[in-house]
Amino acid sequence: MHNLALTELLGAPVMDSSGAVRGRVRELALYPQEDPASIAALIVRTPSGDRVVTRNDIASFEDHSVLCTASSDVWMSYAPTTAEGYLLLSRDLLDQQIIDVHGRKVVRVNDVDLHAQAVNHHTTLKIAGVDVGARGAVRRLLKGVVPTTPLNALLTKIPPRIIPWEFVDLIETDPARRVKLRIEHARLSRLHPADIADIVEELAPAEREAVFETLDEEVAAQALGEVDPKMQISIVESLDSERAAEIVEEMAPDAAADLLGELPTETSEDILGEMSPEEREEVKELLEHAENSAAGRMTTDFLSFSPHATVSDAVEALRNFDGGKETLNTLYLVDKDDKLVGAVPLANIVLAEAETLLSELTSGEVISCPAKANEEEAAEIFDKYNLLMLPVVDEEGRLIGIITADDVIAMLRRFS
Amino acid sequence: MWKSVKRYLRRGLFGVSQPQKGTAFSLLRLRLLTFLAIFGPGFVTANVDNDPGGIFTYSQAGAKFGYALLWTLIPTTIALIVVQEMAARMGAVTGKGLSDLIREEFGFRVTFFTMLILGAADFANIVAEFAGLAAGMGIFGVSKYLVVPLGAALVWGVVVKGTYRPVEKILIIFSLVYIAYPISAFLAKPDWLAAMKDTVIPTFSTNSEYLIMIVGLIGTTITPWMQFYLQASVVEKGIGKKEYSLSRWDVVLGCIVTDIVAFFIVVACAATLHVSGQTEISSAADAAVALRPLAGKYASLLFAVGLVNASLLSAAILPLATAFNICEGLGVESGVNKRFSEAPVFYWFYTALIAAGAGCVLIPRLPLIKVIIFSQVANGVLLPFVLVFMLLLINREDVMGEYRNSRTGNVVAWSTAIVIILLTIGMIFTS
Repeated sequence: MHNLALTELLGAPVMDSSGAVRGRVRELALYPQEDPASIAALIVRTPSGDRVVTRNDIASFEDHSVLCTASSDVWMSYAPTTAEGYLLLSRDLLDQQIIDVHGRKVVRVNDVDLHAQAVNHHTTLKIAGVDVGARGAVRRLLKGVVPTTPLNALLTKIPPRIIPWEFVDLIETDPARRVKLRIEHARLSRLHPADIADIVEELAPAEREAVFETLDEEVAAQALGEVDPKMQISIVESLDSERAAEIVEEMAPDAAADLLGELPTETSEDILGEMSPEEREEVKELLEHAENSAAGRMTTDFLSFSPHATVSDAVEALRNFDGGKETLNTLYLVDKDDKLVGAVPLANIVLAEAETLLSELTSGEVISCPAKANEEEAAEIFDKYNLLMLPVVDEEGRLIGIITADDVIAMLRRFS
Repeated sequence: MWKSVKRYLRRGLFGVSQPQKGTAFSLLRLRLLTFLAIFGPGFVTANVDNDPGGIFTYSQAGAKFGYALLWTLIPTTIALIVVQEMAARMGAVTGKGLSDLIREEFGFRVTFFTMLILGAADFANIVAEFAGLAAGMGIFGVSKYLVVPLGAALVWGVVVKGTYRPVEKILIIFSLVYIAYPISAFLAKPDWLAAMKDTVIPTFSTNSEYLIMIVGLIGTTITPWMQFYLQASVVEKGIGKKEYSLSRWDVVLGCIVTDIVAFFIVVACAATLHVSGQTEISSAADAAVALRPLAGKYASLLFAVGLVNASLLSAAILPLATAFNICEGLGVESGVNKRFSEAPVFYWFYTALIAAGAGCVLIPRLPLIKVIIFSQVANGVLLPFVLVFMLLLINREDVMGEYRNSRTGNVVAWSTAIVIILLTIGMIFTS
């Protein structure tokens, strides 16, 4: 088993079983639907056109040239249209941007690191990783210009920066090709939304759109919430309203309302139209509040209980709650008219017996904020009482929503 | 991308935040605010084109050749508009910077070669900015050995600490000083008929100095680095295909303003220096004579203020832009918002550019003005390389789609490139 660089292979002579050089390597092809890491074929430039050498025909890679097992007569002609589902390393990977899921950033590929392994009577070639460092860059620059031996001597002195293939997420703007190349951004989805947002912010608009079209709606919604506001708008505008609605539905109502509020009327109407009726109502309600009032910052996703409910009722409700978990660190108690009467920290629920009434678990007088208060007043209350969440009440004292700490922090940063 | 240049350019000169959606009246307000918010790239072009390189090249052109070179302004302006528009369009349609596009379409080797060329031209320009600073403060009798290191440290510190935005605004406002040129030009009572005639009727000459001057004039008006800067700036502002048409106007306006100022600098110098027989500009004080009709004995002061201001602005922008472009092109981490340990190559490179640029100016008895004009000639010589790449990219369907170049655009841009190459060859052969 030995290592090869893509740059070393490109242009290398290809010999068939007769030992004569029949052509030169033009491309390496990968077929993700079968095997995401093994090279499926070589595309060889011959005097009579491009030919395909499949992996089973490759005997070995010696001395920077390729030895094949059969005669060149068996090599098929290469037709670009049949190559739709193939990833061509030189065209699609070299010098393109990829997402490094481990390092959580976008990088450009300088070279590709390959492992050659002898299996039975032929040699398989696997992608080990992409080279994004100086070694790949220098090799690209000097290959062909500087003779091989001194070049390799120089290259070994440069520390490599290689991203293993399993951490590479490809970016493809054509939706049909994404399907063929099996690009699902599964690895990207597992990152924290804030990291996904950072990555997405480094991409060009078309690539950004491609990522948001492919990510699972929930992940997309969370990531979108972390993206720069101006970019949020351009991303949502670039998606079609159906897809945009799918994502907006998964966002917390307050974040969704903020986003839709910034869009041109036509676009936000289109998106609201595609949303499911309940979600639409929730968001519309929030949209009606002035943007920089306390009510404009709140979310309507919360759990409230009667003071006579027990801990086990609460736990049951918690288990069935499908809103954002960040709104669960305090449970609010309301009377039969929906007026706010108490607040129970989640910790108290966890520590109490199942049959305890929630009214016994409140800590002190419940602090709330009137809907008409402005953002700064809300922030002051947060600070004064050291809160993580602040319930918002209307003029009658009815609980209509809650403001969470992250909203307050975002607001404070804007004003500083 | 340019995360931190983004911080500087994000909201345009006037720091406009996202406008409210709504009624028809708001629509007008929206368009106006959007225009102002986008009103960065072209506007900055106009200002940065009047850097020391510009001022001295136009001044020398007027001093040495009188009105004879005025005819180059109209074709150069047209070429400038076409080229800048191409850069803005590529940025708006692809959402990528020029070095990124070159890398993706032409590969690493070509990118490296282009970055070398860009680096060379930019370095010459950086030296010119510091030379301008030295020359300007020289009018006040302050030694360059004091001014240049201070200026370099100041510029480095301001940019790295991130207090660039307010400083940029101040500097841009100060560059309104150049209104002095048109006024001075009128007061100098030039032979308007001769000037107008020379603006439209070309004078050809195979005099080597004449050719060098033309290459310098083109190079100072259409700088290679400006195309990279403009495209990146358009991308950072998030100007997409929709907002692009407004951005176009900003670019065109900026180019026209640039050349109007250039016109008046040439005329003012022609009417004062050339007419009185002083055809060589060997110091800032010489160039300041062009402002005498307006400012009398304060001409030098006025000129110095404008020059120092322009030098500082360009010295702040150019090394940063160069470091970004080259690091981006080579795929190296870059960004002033990153800590030193996260982007060491970028920071070292940026610092080296400033240090070396300023250092060159400190060479004893360096002919500052000649160096400045030489840097603009270097721009002119290296411009065709950048132009050719831009043309190859902008005509690719898979890159630009339906926003490919029109035939007119291609004709103008290709002819510009060819003309410059011919002029350069001519310039080399006649000298």
